[in-house]
Order: sequence, then structure tokens, then C-alpha cells
Amino acid sequence: MTGVRKNKYVTISRTFIAVLFTMAFLFPIYWMIATSLKPTSDLFANPPHLFPKNVSFAPYADNFVKNQEMLGYMLNSFIIASGTMILTLILAAPAAYGLARQSIRGKALILILLLATQMLPGIMLSMPFFIAFSKMQLINSYPALIIANTTHSLPFAILVLRPYFLTLPGGLEEAALIDGSNKFNAFWRIILPLVKPGLLTVGAFCFLWGWGDFLFALTLTTNELIRPLSLGLYKFIGEYGTEWNNLMAVASVAALPIILVFFGLQKYIVGGLVSGSMKD
Amino acid sequence: MAFSKFINKWSGYFFILPGLLFMIFFLVFPIFYNFLLSFQNVTLLNLNGEHAFVGFANYVTIVSDGTFAVSFQNSVIFTFLCIVFQFCIGFALALYFNRKFPGRDFMRSILLLAWMLPTVITATLFKWMMAGDYGVVNYFLQSLGILDKPIYWLTEAKTALYGTIIANIWIGVPFNMVILLAGLQSLPEHLYEAAKIDGAGRFRQFVNITLPLLRPTILILLMLGIIYTFKVFDLVLIMTGGGPVNASTLLPIYAYKLAFTQYDLSLGATVASIMFMILVAIAMVYLWFMRKEEQL
Repeated sequence: MTGVRKNKYVTISRTFIAVLFTMAFLFPIYWMIATSLKPTSDLFANPPHLFPKNVSFAPYADNFVKNQEMLGYMLNSFIIASGTMILTLILAAPAAYGLARQSIRGKALILILLLATQMLPGIMLSMPFFIAFSKMQLINSYPALIIANTTHSLPFAILVLRPYFLTLPGGLEEAALIDGSNKFNAFWRIILPLVKPGLLTVGAFCFLWGWGDFLFALTLTTNELIRPLSLGLYKFIGEYGTEWNNLMAVASVAALPIILVFFGLQKYIVGGLVSGSMKD
Repeated sequence: MAFSKFINKWSGYFFILPGLLFMIFFLVFPIFYNFLLSFQNVTLLNLNGEHAFVGFANYVTIVSDGTFAVSFQNSVIFTFLCIVFQFCIGFALALYFNRKFPGRDFMRSILLLAWMLPTVITATLFKWMMAGDYGVVNYFLQSLGILDKPIYWLTEAKTALYGTIIANIWIGVPFNMVILLAGLQSLPEHLYEAAKIDGAGRFRQFVNITLPLLRPTILILLMLGIIYTFKVFDLVLIMTGGGPVNASTLLPIYAYKLAFTQYDLSLGATVASIMFMILVAIAMVYLWFMRKEEQL
């Protein structure tokens, strides 16, 4: 009896320490939101108010209602992130399926290629892209950014999706073939719906990467009308200097989709992360 | 009939073809193009004109440029310190979270937020927290009595690089923790029970069971960590711009500045090629380790 009670104390104190650590570790995220809710006069209080004393929504109103420049940046981020997600899934789902369940020569070589390309520095791609897209008149265009971001997400997407196809029971395709549909039909109608959780995980990662991209947006665009929120925020740092409440309001809004997707899909994200970097 | 036979024989390749072509066009080809660039003299001005082949001239220019040595050294310090701290803190956390307690899974995933947040946001946020005058980091350190006067973290040459290292460690810790925790959870429980019966204490269990069994996970995690950290770009560019002067310039920032602020694309590509060769060398060392492992 006392053993059970002691155990209970142990697990509760473990939780308590873990909660304290988690809160301390995530303090920066709290600080972002807290700063974004302060009027400018409170920013430079000494000592700083750890909890906002006079809550003000002015930083949000100023940046997203009065001045609608930010909405344009957000729309661009949304287009780029969705485009990256869609293009990646269109290319990755059949490829991962082929590599999992079809006989293909050089499979091992392709898998190594996928692992290796994940390790390329983005800056190494940005110079060839800049030259190629300049020649194609695609600088300052969504397609250029979507293609560039897809190079980042595609290898990861294939590597994460492949195990999902591998775990499906064998014989699914044969059953479909007997029913008279061809391989492509079987893939589209029968196989794909079975790996929805995988598609969801990968889609979420691709969206988040497209949303957060900075390097390609910086090097492949010059026009503010096409630039995403990440660059809007960067430009802001230069313009706003020390108006940290305004900067943090923009940062919080930019972080919002990440936080929402994250809470919706947290269990898939942990699994996806582990399989993406560890398989084979 | 002949047609459908053909389809069935080759259909596997049809599935992978679009993805494979995309990779060849937009990943493999740019690598070669990048190397080609490093042997030419392409700038923004002659972009659409003729380019001369200049042999190793760009490599000579880069290696004899003092900024290259500085950025190389900064990259090594940055990567080394980030990896050591991320890995050790991540490992400690993984061991802690490997025990059972309520709320464990939720906290494990919520910690990953630090890793998932777009770098632009993290960089802006740490820039504010590390501000010299009203930054909350100085406030905490001063109230704890660790500092007696504020540090201008990101604008002083002595501390700028370390400020960015701290921010990057914050990003990397949860990633290391999640991967190591997954490794720990896959270890067979019965080994530990046997060790307990033999009277081995916690420390002995850790050294004699956990570490050897976790070796493959640790090796791949360290290799991935080194490669990912070596190419960090936006975090540092936003926090310090590589400055003051070149105090926090890393190799990717050096390459970026050559190509996109001095518009000498060939010199930028040369630095990128050197980075690529360093990364390949790291991957080789890893593969060599793994082979030795298998032979044992």
C-alpha cells in the first residue's frame, strides 16, 4: 500500500519538474506573445513587466487592420506554402509508392540519393536557381519559390511516406487488378486512401517549411508584392528598429499557423520526424 | 493487350518518374552547375553574356581572402558548440522523459515547437530577448547576480557569435531529445532487468547497456546534426547580419554576401562548393565509422 502511494508521489513530482522545465524552455514563445500585447511605453520599463500590465491590442490593429501591407505578405506565404505542399505530395506519393511496392532497379541508389540531397545547403542551390530562373524570367514569381521549396521537402516526403506504403498488407493491388482496374487506378482509388495519416503528416511538414522559408524568398525575389511574411518580418526589423511590440505582433501572427497545425497533428509530427531522419 | 502488358511491366518506373525527374532537374543538376560556376567568372552584369573559364582562380581568390578563414573558423566553433550542447541537453532530457509520468507525451511534443517555429521568428525573438538595453536575458542574468552590467550580446564582436549559438541550441535541443527518446524506447526492457538482477546500478546500466545499444542512433544523430548546423544561414543573418564586421559570419553567409550583395555569383558558388566538399567529407567519416561497426 505504501509502495503504491510512494509511486504516486514520485510520478507527480516527475510531472512537476517536467512542467517547470517545459515552461522555462518555452519562455521565449511566451515572451513573444507577452511583448506583442504591450503598449510601446511599457516596452522599456525597468524592470520589465513579466506579465503585461496594460494589455494593448494596438500592435495587432496597427499592423493588420490599419496598415494592410502585412495581409499581402500573408497571402503570398499562404500561396507559396500551399503550392509547395501540393507539388510535393503530387510528386512524392507515387514515388514513395513505387519505391515501396513496385519492382524497380536501383532502388537502393535512389534511396541513398534521397538521403544525401536532404543534406545539401540551401545556399548552394540558390545561386544556380537564381541564374536559371533569371534566364527563364521567373525571378519574382510564385512557381520559382514553389519549385525551390519543393527541393527541400520532396526527399523528406518520399522517405517518410515510403514506410506507410510498406506496412499495407500485400495483395491489395492484385485484388484490384482482378476487379479489372489497372495499376494506376488501384493506386489512386485503393492505396492512397489507406495512407491518409502519412499524407497528412507530410503535407503538414511541407506547408510549414514553405511558410517558414526565408533563404529562397530572399534570393529569388526582389518585389515586395510577391514576397512572403518571413521577408516582411525581416524588412520590418530594419524599419521598426526597436518597436518590439509591433515586431512581436507580426511574429505571433506568423507563428499562428504553425502552432495551430502543431496542436492538431502533434502525434503525427513526432512520428514523422523520427522516421524521416532514421529510416535505413 | 500488348499495350497493357507494356504498362504493367514498366508501371513501377512510371510511379517514380515524375519525382525522379524533378530531383534530377532541380537538385542534381544544380550541384553540377554550382561546380561549373565556380570555374567561371559569372557576375550579375555578364549573366546573359559569355563566361570565361578561369580554372582555379576563384578558389585561389577565396582561400587567400581573410574573410574565408574567419568564416571557416566561425563555422567550426558554431557547429561544434551547438552540437555539444544540443546533444548533451537533449540526451539528459531524453533520459528524463523516458520514465513514465502523466503528461509526458504532451510535453515531449510541445517542446518540439521550438524546433518547428520558422527561423525568422526565432531569430527576431532572440534578437529582442538579447537586446542590450531592455532585453529580458540581461534582466534575468542581472537579477540572478551573474552579470553586474548589461551585455550587448549581438552588437559586440566578442559575444555576437555566442548569442547566435545560444539561439541555435534552443532550436536543436528538442530535435535531439525526440530522436534519442525514440531510440531509448526501442531498447529491450529485459536487458535492464537482467542487469538489475546482476546488481548493476543505474550508472553501470547506462554505460554498459544504453550507450552501446544506442550507438547507431547517436552516430546518425551527430552526423545529421553536424550537417544541419553547418548550413545554418537565416538565423545568423537575421540576428547579427554576420557582424559586427565579420565576427559572426559563417560560411553560408559569406557565400550569400559574395553572390547576392557583391553580385559575384562565381565566387559565391566557389564557397558553396567548398562547403559541399566539407559535408561530403563528414558523410564519408560517418560511413567509415558504420563500416567499422559492421565488421566488429
